[in-house]
Amino acid sequence: MPVRIELTYDMGKLLGTQQVEVEAGSVAEAIAAARARFGEGGGDFDQLAKRTAIAVNGVLARHRERLATKLSEGDTVSFVKAAAGG
Amino acid sequence: MIKGYAGRVLEVDLQERSFAFEPLDEEIARLYIGGKGYGTRLLYDRTEAGIDPLGPANPLIFATGPLNGSVAPQSNRFAVVCKSPLTGGIGNATCGGSFAFGLKKAGIDVLVVTGSSEQPLRLEVDGDADEVRFLDASELWGKGTYETQRILGKGREHAVIGPAGENLVLYAGIVSNERIAGRTGVGAVMGSKRLKAVSVTGSRKLEMEDPDRFREYTKTVRATFKDHPVLGESMKRFGTAAIVNTTNGRNILPTRNFQKGHFDDAMKISGEWMEDHALKGVKTSCLHCPVTCGRDVEVEGKGRGKGPEYETLALLGSNLEIGDLDTVSEWNYHADDLGMDTISLGATLGFAMELGEKGMLESKLSFGDASGVTDLIHDIAHRRGLGNELANGTKRMAEKFGGAGFAPQVKGLELSAYDPRGSYAQGVEYATTNRGGCHVQGASMYLESVGPLTINPQNLKLKADLPIVQQNLACAINSMVLCIFTTYGIVPKLVHEMDPSSRPYRALAFLLENSGPLFRWAQSIKGSPMLWFEKWLTLITGIKFSSGHLQEIGARIFNLERMYNLREGLSAEHDTLPDRILHESTFEHLDSGHPLGELLPLYYKKRGWDSKGVPTARTLKRLQVEV
Repeated sequence: MPVRIELTYDMGKLLGTQQVEVEAGSVAEAIAAARARFGEGGGDFDQLAKRTAIAVNGVLARHRERLATKLSEGDTVSFVKAAAGG
Repeated sequence: MIKGYAGRVLEVDLQERSFAFEPLDEEIARLYIGGKGYGTRLLYDRTEAGIDPLGPANPLIFATGPLNGSVAPQSNRFAVVCKSPLTGGIGNATCGGSFAFGLKKAGIDVLVVTGSSEQPLRLEVDGDADEVRFLDASELWGKGTYETQRILGKGREHAVIGPAGENLVLYAGIVSNERIAGRTGVGAVMGSKRLKAVSVTGSRKLEMEDPDRFREYTKTVRATFKDHPVLGESMKRFGTAAIVNTTNGRNILPTRNFQKGHFDDAMKISGEWMEDHALKGVKTSCLHCPVTCGRDVEVEGKGRGKGPEYETLALLGSNLEIGDLDTVSEWNYHADDLGMDTISLGATLGFAMELGEKGMLESKLSFGDASGVTDLIHDIAHRRGLGNELANGTKRMAEKFGGAGFAPQVKGLELSAYDPRGSYAQGVEYATTNRGGCHVQGASMYLESVGPLTINPQNLKLKADLPIVQQNLACAINSMVLCIFTTYGIVPKLVHEMDPSSRPYRALAFLLENSGPLFRWAQSIKGSPMLWFEKWLTLITGIKFSSGHLQEIGARIFNLERMYNLREGLSAEHDTLPDRILHESTFEHLDSGHPLGELLPLYYKKRGWDSKGVPTARTLKRLQVEV
C-alpha cells in the first residue's frame, strides 16, 4: 500500500527530494524501499541512517512492533534524528 | 559576604528619582542562590496581593547569580522578575546578551526598580562611582531596540524596551544586544514605568573562593563542550533550529494553531535549510559562550539580521503554515526590534487566524498567507486597530471573541513549540509551571521525545516524576544564572553515539522509563558536586552544591512561586491544558489527546501538595519556604 517516507535533510539532499512515496506494508519494507532509492548497495543510505530513529505518524517504531510495525495506507514514515532546541 | 556575589542590591525609585545601594541578604542568597530565586523571594515579600502589574507598586527586579560575571560558558544571563501583566501570576524571564556581566562589573547583584515616572526615562548606573543618573529618554521613546542600543553606544551594557513595551503589549520583552527576556510581559512592566533603558558600567572583579581551580576546571569544561554532539556540534552548526525536523518527525511541531503536529514544509524552515540557503557565516553568542547558538541570516532585498530560533520558526512558521524562511526571518527581526516575545506573538496570530476562519473575528488573516502580517506586527506593537486586540494575547482574546478551547495558552501564557499530545511529561510541565505554558522551565521534552535518549512519551511512566526533577533543576539553573541549554550537555557523547535500534540503547531507555521514584531519589542525593555547574558554584562560592542541593533549592523556589500564584488567585483550576490538547488528535490515525487528568493528582502528591494543588505545611517547612 502507498505510504510516504520523510527523509532526513542530508538524505534528501543526496536524492534531490525530501519525501518519497513507496509501496510498503511494514516498517521493514518501507526502510528497504527507501534504501533501494540510494542505488546499488545502499551504502550512502546506511551511513546517513546511522543513529536515526524511525517514526510512524510521529510514534517511534520501537514503541510499537519495531521493524514488524504494520503500516496503513497514507501513513508517514519518518527518519528522525535526535536534537535539542530551545 | 559569600564569594561570587557583589554583595549589593541597587534600589531605584523612579517616582522619587532616588537610589540606594543596600547589602545583599545573605540568608536569601543561601536559600535561593540569586537570579530568579532571589527575585521571587523579594517580589513575594515586598508586594501586597492583588497589585496592578502595570502599576507603580509592581517592582521590576533584575537579578544575577554567583556564576554571572565569571567566564563560565553560558553564564551571561540575568533574570527579570515581577508580577506578570499577561498571567496575573508570577512573571519572569531570563536573557542572554551582556547585561548580566555589566551588572556584576558594576558591583550589583540585584537591581530593583520601583515606582514609575511621568516622563520617559533612562538610567545610567556607574558602579565604580556608586552613581545612578536619571536621564530624559523622550528622544528614544518610540525607537526600536536595535536603534536604541546603537544610540546608547558602546562602553556600557544595556537592557532596553521597544515600542511594544512602551505601549504595554502584554507579551513585550526586554532586550540586551540581540537577545530578549521574552516571556510573561516583563517589557510591558518596564514600559508602564516609562523606563526605556538601563545602562550599566563598572570595573569591579568577581571574587571567587578558588579562582585557580575554577579557571583550570573551566578549561576542561570548554573542551568537553567543544566535543559534545549538541553543545559543540548541532547547536553550533544549526542553532536551536536544529530541532525543527525532529519535532516534525515526532508529530509535535505546532501547525495551524496546534491543529496538527506535522508541517509538510518544515524542511524549508529548518536549521539545515538555514545553513544552506540563508546563513551568512556569522555566528553569534552571549558574552563568553562557546556554543554560539545565534546566527545572522540574510533576507533577499531586506538585509541581514538575527536568524530565527526554533520557537520562532515554529510559532511564526509552521503554526501559521508559513514555510518560507525569509518571511519568518523578517517577522523575527521586526518582533525583536519592536521588543516582543515571538512565542506569544506567533501563537496569538495563529489563534486569530483560526478565529477568522471560523467567522468569530473579522480579519483578512489566513493560514499560509503572509500578506498583511508584517503590518499587523507593527500594529500590535503600537496597539492600532486589530493589533490592539492581539496585543492582549490569546486568553483575553478568547474571553472577548470566544474560542477558549483552541486558545493555545496555560494561565494566560502562550504554549511554546512542543505539542504535549506527543510529549506527555511536557504537557504536565506546561500545566503546572508557575509562569504558564513554557518549555524552558523544565524542558522535559528533551528526555521524553527529542533528545538522544528518550522514553515512550505517550504512556504514564515517569510522566509525573520527570517534570518535577526538570522544573526544580530549571529553577536552580535560572537562579545561578545559567543558560538552560547547559542541561543538554548532561547526556554524554557516548549515549549520542548509540544506535536507537540497538539492544543497549533500548535497555537504557527501558531502565529510564521504568525508574519511577528512583529517578527522583537519585537526583536528591546530597553528595559531591559532579556536574560542571555544581562544581562551578562550589568553586566560586565555597559552598558545596550537588544535584541534591540543587533539587532542594529548585523545589524551594518552585513552591514559593506556587505560593505567590495562589496568593494572586491562580489555583488548581489553572493547572490545565487547552481543550484542543486534552481531547483532540493531531493525526487522523492516532487516538490522542493528553491524559492530564490522570497525571495531575500524581504530580501533586509527589510534589507534597494536597489534592487542591496547595503545598502542605509540612512541605513548606521541609523546604524552608516562609510565607
